Amino acid sequence: MSSVLTNPLRVGLRQERVVPPQCLVIFGASGDLTHRKLIPALFELFRQRRLPSEFAVLGCARRPWSDDDFRARMAEALAAEVAEHPTAWEQFAAGLFYEPVDLQEPPTVVRLGKRLEQIDRQRATRGNRTFYLSVSPAFYGSGCRALAAAGLLADPARSRVVIEKPFGTDYASAQALNKVVQACAQESQIFRIDHYLGKETVQNILVLRFANTIFEPIWNRNYISNVQITAAETVGVEERAGYYESSGALRDMVQNHLTQILALTTMEPPGRFDPESMRNEKAKVLQAARLANEAEPWKCCVRGQYSGGGSKARPIAGYRQEPGVNPQSTTETYVATKLFINNWRWQGVPFYLRTGKRLPKRLSEVVLTFREAPVHLFDAAGGAPTPNQLILRIQPDEGANIRFEVKAPGSGMRSRPVDMAFSYDDSFGEPSDEGYVRLLADAMLGDPTLYTRSDEVEAAWRLYTPLLELIEDAPEQLPIQPYEARTWGPAAADNLLADDGLVWRRP
Amino acid sequence: MSAQLTLQAPLVLPPAEVGPYLESLWRTELKTSAGATTFTLVIYEASWLQQQLIRTGRLDGPITGLLDSDLIEAAKEAVPSCGLPLSTAVMDQRLSWALGQHPGHHQADDQRGQFVDSAISIHKPRRLITLAPTLVQDRALETLVAAYCPLIEEGQAGQACGDVVVLRGGRGSLQQGLPLVDSLVSSELPCWVWWNSSLDEAPELLEALAPPSRRLVVDTSLGAPRRCIDLLVQRIQSGQAVNDLNWMRLRTWRESLAMVFDPPARRDALDHVVQLDVDVEGDHPLKGLLLGAWIADRLGWHLVSSYLVDGDGVGYGVAAEFERTDGTTVQFRLMPVPVGVPKTHPGAIVGLRLICQPPDRAPLCVILCSESGGCMRLEAGGMASMELAEDVVPVPVESEEMELARLLGGGHDTTNPLMASAAVLAARLLPA
Repeated sequence: MSSVLTNPLRVGLRQERVVPPQCLVIFGASGDLTHRKLIPALFELFRQRRLPSEFAVLGCARRPWSDDDFRARMAEALAAEVAEHPTAWEQFAAGLFYEPVDLQEPPTVVRLGKRLEQIDRQRATRGNRTFYLSVSPAFYGSGCRALAAAGLLADPARSRVVIEKPFGTDYASAQALNKVVQACAQESQIFRIDHYLGKETVQNILVLRFANTIFEPIWNRNYISNVQITAAETVGVEERAGYYESSGALRDMVQNHLTQILALTTMEPPGRFDPESMRNEKAKVLQAARLANEAEPWKCCVRGQYSGGGSKARPIAGYRQEPGVNPQSTTETYVATKLFINNWRWQGVPFYLRTGKRLPKRLSEVVLTFREAPVHLFDAAGGAPTPNQLILRIQPDEGANIRFEVKAPGSGMRSRPVDMAFSYDDSFGEPSDEGYVRLLADAMLGDPTLYTRSDEVEAAWRLYTPLLELIEDAPEQLPIQPYEARTWGPAAADNLLADDGLVWRRP
Repeated sequence: MSAQLTLQAPLVLPPAEVGPYLESLWRTELKTSAGATTFTLVIYEASWLQQQLIRTGRLDGPITGLLDSDLIEAAKEAVPSCGLPLSTAVMDQRLSWALGQHPGHHQADDQRGQFVDSAISIHKPRRLITLAPTLVQDRALETLVAAYCPLIEEGQAGQACGDVVVLRGGRGSLQQGLPLVDSLVSSELPCWVWWNSSLDEAPELLEALAPPSRRLVVDTSLGAPRRCIDLLVQRIQSGQAVNDLNWMRLRTWRESLAMVFDPPARRDALDHVVQLDVDVEGDHPLKGLLLGAWIADRLGWHLVSSYLVDGDGVGYGVAAEFERTDGTTVQFRLMPVPVGVPKTHPGAIVGLRLICQPPDRAPLCVILCSESGGCMRLEAGGMASMELAEDVVPVPVESEEMELARLLGGGHDTTNPLMASAAVLAARLLPA
């Protein structure tokens, strides 16, 4: 969202919850995520007065840094913010500490426990701890085991652990990882993060659906003909080739982010807004979701990979030409797939999910297309009346549009479509918090509403298991289709909808 | 939310035995439960109105300290029979004083402090200490003790129990019980003191209960406006963490006004305000002054003068002149208006009007009205040429306990800086 003149009457009205006294322990503190996302989010929380004075951050990694080294590196990474708010940074940085820890080395974890006790005394953090595993996914299980062995997860009321994505690489590995972490801590202590759920506009799907009465009666198979969920990126693989080569778009985007949006769009109304009611409904709808053709999954999915494009002046490298990428790589950078949800609300409504890199626009949106009017009484300017659509724009230009037919001016009775638009910028004009601000605060508050539960994660992996198995066992049946960078993906993705008489919405 | 009863019937103990008994309780019966490491909550629960209504036979017992619908209904019915104007708010202390002049000897079980409202128990207070003054001034001190464990909701982790202590008696005997209170307040946990009564009463007790190290919650709608605002400002300026439920009840008004100016296209109108009018119920101007002061403070206005004006038969209003940052004068007027169905607390806001005159554009008139009453005075005349933005402000239906729970849950361990600025300005706005 764009930043405009602040509304002076809005200041202080957000009624944000304040984090209770505690120490946030970040494993992988020397990594990118810490200085790009976590520390900026914590500093933002501090400036919003949502962190108590009894608060500390303990960075942990294998590097032999001191507290001062850690503070200096974080200050360097946040140079612009530090320059803008030097006093606040000084106060915040006083609560930053560092301890060299290798989660595979038990003595260092024992030493960590002693350091935490010392910080408890120094900062009055009262033994409350949130452990954030920003480490390689290969170490999630062993990391939890090491914490549990050192007794650091023993008190469910005072300790919790946040686990970054990806949570597993398929259904079996997610199940295995769940078993390991649930043996170390209670489910209520485990926070599996999906940063898409931290986005204001993703959360707005819930408010739009469940705080208004006008949508719920038509939010079902009787009125909705199909749903499209798109997450398009303009960037390529950038610096993440190492990770992306083993992951691909299906694992990196579809199984988590797009599927969470799908769950929020399709879940039943919870009885109340609390973590378990919410997650029960999400899990239920994901358990009811199926690929459109599980027996022949290649018929309901398209995989693509961007090839070179751009102009002569500004050429764009193809995926296989990116640094760190195997020149014969068959990793997909684009996926489109079709799903059904086998329940009373959604039976027979196709859901089309697509995501890709190097597409023409950066955007995420949900498009609900309603059924056509049963009888066409009027001439339509476009030949036939355009079906009503509700478009939820998740990013950028956050907001929502409703498209409907009106009478075109003139003596005849011709109809044409118009949009009724809601824009966060026009209505609120304030930038929303980065997703990590909300999610970190929630974890430290012990509120798992926006975190995914074990059964949700497993249901999401199970949903795509036929595709993952196909890619593993018979990749030739789901070949990689090249598409030119800065186009809307391979032509086969259009055919996926064309077979149903539909087209992708061109945003 | 319904109140939860304590785990066991409260035990009456001599004050000297309370501390040792609680220690043994934690060692034995509660040994399997984790003691909450949260906070201590001390409540001065006078409940004069409820006690007087029960004594005069207008309300059935028990005495709970809760401001429930039966109590409000009985109080409304008592207003005319006490010879008070119909627009008298239920919590106006003149009502309980007038009831005190009526005969009656009805008695009821006194259960103050033995309920833990769910809104509060969800925050797992480690210890709840209630001071319950009785109508009988010379009644000796009684102390009651019990443990409680919040009911666990589905999916919530871990049980953390706490205990409740009630000190009941005449005001003099409560004063004698203060050393016991001090001994029961853990120095290792934060302590909140909720003065749930008029700020006019028992200043020494308030002083002793709420030293600067404790977080104080008051309600400036209860008591003489000058005393209330002075006390609030004095506590703020002393650096104590203090919260005001009267300020908190302004939330929907502040939110509604902020919403009007959320669209960026309207924001610059805020630099061109020329007039601000606030109508309040009855003759308690503090809430309206806090609202006006908040707006003035947020928009950077400088107070030039303030004076009393005739309230058209309903006490006095307050008029003031502010100067905007560009030197232009802003007229402020707060007027008391009579209402047929008053709200529970004195001085509720009836309506607000803000007139902006941006250059090269039509003036903008914002009118906010309470949903339970009209604001015809503010809508009257002279606005035909203005862009009009009208809205209805919802009346919050939350109990006192819910408001307090919002504070406890929000971790408000310092004074809200917006309230602090508004209170200081409101004190200057209120003519001496």
